[in-house]
Amino acid sequence: MEFHYKVVLQNYPLLIDGFWITVQVTLIALTIGILFGAAICAMRLSGARGLDRIAAAYIVFFRATPEMVLIFWGYFCLPLIFQLRVSGLWTGSIALGLVTAAYLAEIFRAGINAVPQGEVEAATALGLKFSPKWRFVILPQAMRLMVPPLVNYFTELLKNTTLLSGIGVAELALQAYLLGGQTFRYVEFLSAIALIYFAIIFPLSLLSRRLEHREVHR
Amino acid sequence: MDWSVISNFDFAVIWRYLPALLTGLWNNILLTVLGFIAGGIVLGTLLAIGNLSRFAAIRWPCFVFVEFWRSTPLLVQAIWMHFAFPVLSGLQTTPFQSGLLALVFNVSAYCSEIIRAGIMGVPKGQFEAARSLGLPPRVVWFKVILPQAVKIVIPPLIGTVISIFKATAILSVLALNDVMRAAQRISSYTFKPVEIYTTAAIIAFAVGLAITIAGSKLEARFRQNEA
Repeated sequence: MEFHYKVVLQNYPLLIDGFWITVQVTLIALTIGILFGAAICAMRLSGARGLDRIAAAYIVFFRATPEMVLIFWGYFCLPLIFQLRVSGLWTGSIALGLVTAAYLAEIFRAGINAVPQGEVEAATALGLKFSPKWRFVILPQAMRLMVPPLVNYFTELLKNTTLLSGIGVAELALQAYLLGGQTFRYVEFLSAIALIYFAIIFPLSLLSRRLEHREVHR
Repeated sequence: MDWSVISNFDFAVIWRYLPALLTGLWNNILLTVLGFIAGGIVLGTLLAIGNLSRFAAIRWPCFVFVEFWRSTPLLVQAIWMHFAFPVLSGLQTTPFQSGLLALVFNVSAYCSEIIRAGIMGVPKGQFEAARSLGLPPRVVWFKVILPQAVKIVIPPLIGTVISIFKATAILSVLALNDVMRAAQRISSYTFKPVEIYTTAAIIAFAVGLAITIAGSKLEARFRQNEA
């Protein structure tokens, strides 16, 4: 068969529209994930009996349930239960954001726990109050350790944005699928977006591995 | 908040269609098992060995395959397998076959990295000793290296099962009769989306939770045996 790459180029405006939707979904989910993830991590580390249980249950729930199930449930049930009108883009992005929060909370916690206990004790012994202790001693060291898994999770999130095509959000994957159907050129469109995702995710995945390697061999 | 949705919750419809939802869920479980064994263990091990080969002609194709399947979304891989692959190969595949194929390749790429790390964790002296004894490559791999790598590899491999289970729900985009596709069909037929999707979500979560708990118990046991 022949490969009609021109048909992809002719339809690039729709693919770019799709790409922007993908970017929006990623940014919304990432923002929710970072804010909620930090809050859940704080609850988990607080040591308050009720709070850490709630945080642990949240993490287990969102890590054990398939993302697709959460997205579909949110899209079909929330509007009926709460009498809301929310777009698929927002429902799906919020669902992904809540999942992201569960994973990020664990990454944050692992980073904070990896800071040597001596550092924390030294800061306390020097009489540092809560805020400078976290700002100048714990977080700078923890954040360096968090970067590789964060970059890695970002690539997972980017892959998960494609799930919104299940509820009709015209992100990159759904646009390509629809264009493929209209033109009967599935091979061209689907291969093109596979390459686009690869071109974005592969460098990030290499970066994450390199950073991790550097961290291990410090 | 519309309380009538909750007060009018129709349990009869749930009972009537629960078997259909469970049939869908069974497909998710079947795909998880097949994906883990065929992709994670069999193809994953072959790719890991290929990736460590001395010959560039074997190493490079394995590397490209693994990186490509790791760096693209499963949903794109699945629709590519179902709509583009038959055009290229001339083979007609059912949604289950194309979904399974995409899942197996995707899982094999992830697991081959875990297995590769496990093989590299076997002390180098073991390779050297086996080779200097004049053992043929097949014996070196299957009698010396892999049995030791297995111990290192099992705990992280168990951890991938929950990811595979979650990934199987993505294959519902291919009209493969998994739990989400079953829920979609039933709810558009009965007009009871809240009941059906909530039930589907609960049973999917229950299986996910069971996998998580069983996985961490098994992992703990293997780590204990090692120590």
